[in-house]
Amino acid sequence: MTSRERVLAAVRHRQPDRTPFDFSWGFAPAQLTRFQEETGAADPDDYFGADTRLLRPSPTRLRTDFSSYLGPLPPGAHVDEWGIGRRPSASTDAAHAHLDGFIYPLLGVSAARGAFDYPLPDLDADYRYEDFAARVAAVQSRGVAALAVMDCTIFEVAWYMRSMEQLLLDFADASPFATALLDRITAIREVQARRFAESGADVICMGDDVGTQRGMLMSVRMWRAWLKPRLARVIAAARQVRPDVLVFFHSDGNVTAIVEDLIEIGVNILNPVQPECMDPVALRARFGHHLCLWGTVGTQSTFPFGSPEDVRREVAMRIETVGQGGGLFLAPTHMIEPEVPFANIVAFVESVRSTTVRRGGVGDEIANPVGVVRENHRHQVGHRHRSS
Amino acid sequence: MADTVDLTERLRRSVLDGDAAAAARLANEGLAGGIVPRDMVDRGLIRAMDEAGRLFEAGEFFVPELLVSARAMKAAMSILEPLLAGEAHVSAGRIAIGTVAGDLHDIGKNLVATMLRGAGFDVNDLGVDVTPARFVQAARDGAAVIGVSALLTTTMTSMRATVAALEEAGVRGRVKVMVGGAPVTQEYADAIGADGYSDNAGGAVALARRLVAQSRPS
Repeated sequence: MTSRERVLAAVRHRQPDRTPFDFSWGFAPAQLTRFQEETGAADPDDYFGADTRLLRPSPTRLRTDFSSYLGPLPPGAHVDEWGIGRRPSASTDAAHAHLDGFIYPLLGVSAARGAFDYPLPDLDADYRYEDFAARVAAVQSRGVAALAVMDCTIFEVAWYMRSMEQLLLDFADASPFATALLDRITAIREVQARRFAESGADVICMGDDVGTQRGMLMSVRMWRAWLKPRLARVIAAARQVRPDVLVFFHSDGNVTAIVEDLIEIGVNILNPVQPECMDPVALRARFGHHLCLWGTVGTQSTFPFGSPEDVRREVAMRIETVGQGGGLFLAPTHMIEPEVPFANIVAFVESVRSTTVRRGGVGDEIANPVGVVRENHRHQVGHRHRSS
Repeated sequence: MADTVDLTERLRRSVLDGDAAAAARLANEGLAGGIVPRDMVDRGLIRAMDEAGRLFEAGEFFVPELLVSARAMKAAMSILEPLLAGEAHVSAGRIAIGTVAGDLHDIGKNLVATMLRGAGFDVNDLGVDVTPARFVQAARDGAAVIGVSALLTTTMTSMRATVAALEEAGVRGRVKVMVGGAPVTQEYADAIGADGYSDNAGGAVALARRLVAQSRPS
């Protein structure tokens, strides 16, 4: 199998030759430097043969001046196309080089009008996608799966502009400001989703951190009121173009409470399934093969603090317990931080690559064990199983 | 004279409901009715924030509910606090809190600081990226408890350095250290010699009360 065939098989719950893997959230700068010193290679994905490559739209040509929103910036700060300022850590420790703090452009803006006036990026402009299909095709022609990524899809980018505390207060207050801001972001994301779908990308990656280590950051009721319908619109925009395009959703923390809703609106893949606070076996038992688990190897536990043997054991256990017959994609659950021993990264890749996947014991008979999926989605799932 | 029990109960309710306007109105109503400000703070506001913390621990309140309750508490407190100045100050304890050196993730730390203030603690919020030396200084300045937070395994190691710095400076005996943050566990807290750990903001308040009680000479 090529990497792409392997990814598509696993994500569509068909038998892959082995479990696919990647480094979803990359290497921290200090870790990347160590990788380059250890191997003499430049790129971990190429060196280790990761099964995916991540693609994002081309850079913006806008040069928006956000100074009236941000005020004077501290030394070393930079501003992204959303107008979000980042100030570097005062730490001189090289291990902290990737850590920066936010400067919120919309924190001081209170009237709903401010959300309409704010200069949002041109991620909906055609030129941002001019070469996107060609870049997707180039990845796929090498036999690798192409992932089109829109990080921080709605909630996170809004919180980066507004501050989490203020945005959550806005939600609690049913603020017209937050409604306007989220609607404008969603409209841009809908265009982006359509462009991604048109490009032929294998998977569209969306994400918004709505989980904490213990559970949801906000109540399920609030998530359903503010975020679920907007995420559903973005997914629907992609599916209008390509009904079978795969949708990946990322949230840190424990989001078990909304998994059923995510499946209902068309999410195929959940990332990163932090094993420190979510139970992959329980998810598989409850949602069967309606959900591909992507991640599951802990960057809060095994990667930094385990031995190479611990990493191999976690990989083997995950494949054994939730990887048979597909439905599993292994990856570190977050960025590989500087303190992760290099030997653990090597052990991760070696053990994934050397472990074959048996034909699954999970089939159609328990594919819908709790009747969680609505009729419109069931058709799609049924089709998927017929093709396996 | 207004009924103290009835008014403090309505004040408590308004804070739990996150109704800042009602909380401010009730504080003024209580003052006009001759109710002792300290009673309104203790029986109305602090009790409400305790209840909010418990509901958060139980998974019935989430971060937004805590934030709106804290906002309502602050609305009433801004009216009552100036009137407490004449009294002998009764604080639940002095706490210095911050994220460890290198770590700029302050959402959890801010929430804990808010809940501690709501529970009547004197909170010295040192902010983010706080060096061990600054925690040491806070201990010298009289904090009974040092609260240390980290979101990442990378920066979590600064917690150990912070505890070590308190030891080296000879002030470890006079402060209690409490730790928290997504990757932190009770085992880790024990391993670095911290005095306490909580996995949530409500639990952190209960923990701080225990630690302050332990640190007071009996």
